[in-house]
Amino acid sequence: MERVVTVVPEEGLHARPASKFVSTANEYDSEVRVGRAGDGNTVPANSMLAVTGLDVRGGEDVLIIADGEDAEAALDALESLLSSPVEEDADG
Amino acid sequence: MADAGSGPDAESDPDSDTGERRLSGTGVTPRSGVGTVVWHRPDAALDLGDPPEPDTVDPVAERERFHEAVAAAREELEAEAERARATVGDDEADVLDAHVGFLTDPQVESGVEDATDEGLPAEFAVREAFATHIETFEGMEGRMAERADDLRDVRDRLLRHLLGVERTDLGALPEGTVLLAERLTPSDTVRLDPDRVAGLATMTGGRTAHAAIIARSLGLPAVVGVGDDLESVAAGSEVVVDGEAGVVVLNPSAETRAAAEADESAPVRHERVQTTDGKEIEVAANVGNAAEAEAAADRGADGVGLYRTEFLFLDRDSPPDEDEQYEAYVVACEAFSGGSAADGGAGDRVVVRTLDVGGDKDVPYMDLDPVENGFLGERGIRLSLGAHADLFETQLRALLRAAGRVAADPESADLAVMFPLVRSVEELDAALERVESVAADLDDEGVDYARPELGAMVETPAAALTADRLADRVDFLSVGTNDLAQYVMAASRDVDAMDDLRDPLYPAVLRALARTVEGAHAGDAWVGVCGEMAGDPQLTELLVGLGVDELSMGAVTVPDVKARVADLESAAAAETAERALAAETRREVRETLGLPEE
Repeated sequence: MERVVTVVPEEGLHARPASKFVSTANEYDSEVRVGRAGDGNTVPANSMLAVTGLDVRGGEDVLIIADGEDAEAALDALESLLSSPVEEDADG
Repeated sequence: MADAGSGPDAESDPDSDTGERRLSGTGVTPRSGVGTVVWHRPDAALDLGDPPEPDTVDPVAERERFHEAVAAAREELEAEAERARATVGDDEADVLDAHVGFLTDPQVESGVEDATDEGLPAEFAVREAFATHIETFEGMEGRMAERADDLRDVRDRLLRHLLGVERTDLGALPEGTVLLAERLTPSDTVRLDPDRVAGLATMTGGRTAHAAIIARSLGLPAVVGVGDDLESVAAGSEVVVDGEAGVVVLNPSAETRAAAEADESAPVRHERVQTTDGKEIEVAANVGNAAEAEAAADRGADGVGLYRTEFLFLDRDSPPDEDEQYEAYVVACEAFSGGSAADGGAGDRVVVRTLDVGGDKDVPYMDLDPVENGFLGERGIRLSLGAHADLFETQLRALLRAAGRVAADPESADLAVMFPLVRSVEELDAALERVESVAADLDDEGVDYARPELGAMVETPAAALTADRLADRVDFLSVGTNDLAQYVMAASRDVDAMDDLRDPLYPAVLRALARTVEGAHAGDAWVGVCGEMAGDPQLTELLVGLGVDELSMGAVTVPDVKARVADLESAAAAETAERALAAETRREVRETLGLPEE
């Protein structure tokens, strides 16, 4: 099962969004991989090093592939994560 | 090596009666404290040397050690993230969360396990597994290269667990800690919680190192420049830090301990103080943020004589914007009071120094160069008039707006602004022009503001020699005696070996100071001293005798200096100052002031 999602957070798959992405992917039993949409290369979504290493920027499309019983739920959760902008800090 | 704890050495002399051992350095705070040693080793001497022969290593046990270290590091990171979320905010906490991600990364795990299988002990395996990834990130640009720092941080955390090296979170030390370190950076020391730290001592640094200055403003007993001997003090042992005598006492006797615990300052007095013949001297504090301003108000300071705005700019990726600065300045003024009958109607004043970077004060995103922007390079007002003109404009807007706000608030202190490291009338005129142009902009925009009292800092011989001309143009002059001493004596604050030469009690520095006071008064400006000497009660008589109107110091000594002022008689003080000025050597100056030989 796979899905193409546009990365909304300005910083892309980096820092806070990257670490949220990895920890969310780890909550599911499915094997999840992620890569830039259209370039055929994906990396394991459970690796902070690999995900950060993609250097995906805000506005780019990523391909998420999930394989397992809860694949649909995992894709839903990851899509919703990448579709919401990072909230502004309350204390600026 | 990181490990402390060796036998007594020849440099220090154990007292055969009490078993005490004393290590000497330079005392920077006239306070003593007793507590338990924690070593701060930021780069933790995590040198591993060469790995042992593979056949002497048990791969199963090493794998186990690695997993235990990961679990311990993870627990520590999660606790730190939770604390950060509660105290400093989400940004810091998110960074720590990301570190958990790197720590538990399957690529790291498999890399380490491959290496332990080949017969490397866990710590070597960790080093090797991280090295590739660090290199990869370093080879990339911009924000990716910064991740290499995160990886190094995570690696070092793991290594500390594997090697059993203590790591210290300076914001969360156990109560009664005496912190020892090779050196402390300004950003290290601002994170210290003065309520938990009983004292600190460093191997390097002199009286005017910034770490020492901040220790003083936090009121921490501190001794710097102890040298390598400090290494022999074991973590967990009990020591006394005597910032007055400049010694760290190991195995303190019951008497030494009791004396340190009983160390108390003069009572806090909130009212203005006068000499016995009625000359009022403003006793103010040097602060770096609003919390320090509040602490200073609690210690009875009559305002702030030096607000170092650099600290607003440190420890972040970009400069604070106008509104953030405005808030910070207003809050600092609100820590003090407006005019009250008890003060004869005189309101407090908070003197904000515009951004003073360069010298030994670095701000990563400003691209400062150690030589080009060093002590004899572009620093202080010159950067604000040149390379950082945009930051200067933003800061002036925030300051003028804040001045307007606090002037309208009878409960709040007034705001004044001074420019750092002025070297010429031209520079001062240019800075004053910027103020006018910012005021004109604010007028056009219909934004509320007020023109604050304006002043120039006198830190260079050039400024001291032309003090009368500078004073003609401003409301006040403020002498930074640390820089003035370094420049008059040509003795860099970077060089520990020149520490003795940077003493403001050299006749040359005293003459520069006297000339500045004369120039200021000739130009109808008041004059303050905000260098370290202002906080030494033993020098209060000299400064009052020279005609200084305001003394500004680390908040800790405000009560002592106030007590001293109240004891002085102006004519006698002036006579003392005259004799000190007539002395030919520093030694004679010290004798005149009744100070012991150095």
